[in-house]
Amino acid sequence: MMKRIMASAFLMFFMLHPASHALDLRGITKHLDTLKSVVGATAKATRPISDEEEYFLGRAVAARVLGTYPLANDKDLTKYINLIGKTVSVSSGKPFTYGGYHFAVLETEEINAFACPGGIIFVTKGLIEMTANEEELAAVLAHEIAHINKRDGIAAIKSSRWTEALAVIGTEAARKYSLSDVAKLVTIFEDSIDDIFKTLIVNGYSRSQEFTADESALQYLAQSGYDPEALISFLKRLSGKGRPSGGGITATHPETADRIDNIAGKIPAGQADPRSVEIRTARFMEVQKPVR
Amino acid sequence: MKRIVAAIILIIIAAPVLVFAEQASVVTKENAVREYCRFFAPVVAPVRYKDVLDIVCPQDDWYKVRYKATEGCIHRTAVEKRSASFTGSTLPGRGAGSVSESEAALAGKGFNPQVEASYRKKYPAMKYNLVDRIEHENVSEKEIVSFITGGGLNQP
Repeated sequence: MMKRIMASAFLMFFMLHPASHALDLRGITKHLDTLKSVVGATAKATRPISDEEEYFLGRAVAARVLGTYPLANDKDLTKYINLIGKTVSVSSGKPFTYGGYHFAVLETEEINAFACPGGIIFVTKGLIEMTANEEELAAVLAHEIAHINKRDGIAAIKSSRWTEALAVIGTEAARKYSLSDVAKLVTIFEDSIDDIFKTLIVNGYSRSQEFTADESALQYLAQSGYDPEALISFLKRLSGKGRPSGGGITATHPETADRIDNIAGKIPAGQADPRSVEIRTARFMEVQKPVR
Repeated sequence: MKRIVAAIILIIIAAPVLVFAEQASVVTKENAVREYCRFFAPVVAPVRYKDVLDIVCPQDDWYKVRYKATEGCIHRTAVEKRSASFTGSTLPGRGAGSVSESEAALAGKGFNPQVEASYRKKYPAMKYNLVDRIEHENVSEKEIVSFITGGGLNQP
């Protein structure tokens, strides 16, 4: 009798729930958390942004940057920085973004680099000319990738924008917006782009954001096989340039000496193979010839 | 005897709450399920945004997943766990009847293609054509692997 009851119970259990799915008790906690978070969605939405939204913001910021600086039309150089950047990005904390990482060169002598939210990264020809080798160029790109990983561009958006956006989008699932909703969202979108653009071009990120990006860059460089010391050698060369009165990397970043001090004791252990560094420097020089 | 019967009934009633299929949805525009858990491993199935995968198990920074008739790996930053899916009520594929918490709050909301289209219409001089060009100028995985190995770098 007992055996029959047990057998029936197990039979019912497996009929109700296909054997291909595992019993996952951890799921209970997560399920409860989900219910809790859906209930509290309004409160959470004070800073809501998905990777997809970040992508659309980043595209708009990139379009603004390209209205300020012309895009360089150098296919070999563009391909080269994409190869370096993509190599470093797979060793970063966020190898995948919604639209992926894309690297482009700006045709200006100004020494600068910009990370647009979502994954588009610009470096200027002036900066490329200043780097001594592939390691240093990788160091610059690693720093910019770190800004994307940490969503520093998104953090530049004033929190009031999120409150305004929330009033339009509410807490329900995705939907097609009415014309008046779209008009409101476009205004908020525009204001958010302004916030990011001003931070990238004029004000710069906070000291702590820059220091953290440098620290993360060291890790990405080491993990991808580049020499992390290259970040210090690049910064030392940069400090020799002084602070220009106009724009540029030194105008939007903390004092270069402070950046060097911050990372000096944080270089990851291990050393890049000198023969490999030589090979990389040779290919750097090859691509650089038309630039210099 | 009564206790045993009560326990069995309890198991049967409680089971639907206890049993979850772990699933994840793709959060990038395009990605791939790979033969083994490494970057640039051969692709066994291309996946797109919002495709739903069954998680078999985690493996370091990857998930072993099942997608349609194939099994393979996908990096954990390319997907988002769907934590509220009940076994038997959903099937892998687009539009399955379950949502994760952040999907419920964010998916397709706010700054989406509709907003970008209106913004572009308002500012036709914005250089979106160049942004599109940048996004389309891609390097292949084969080229990246060759670049990594040729330069003595680490292939993750």
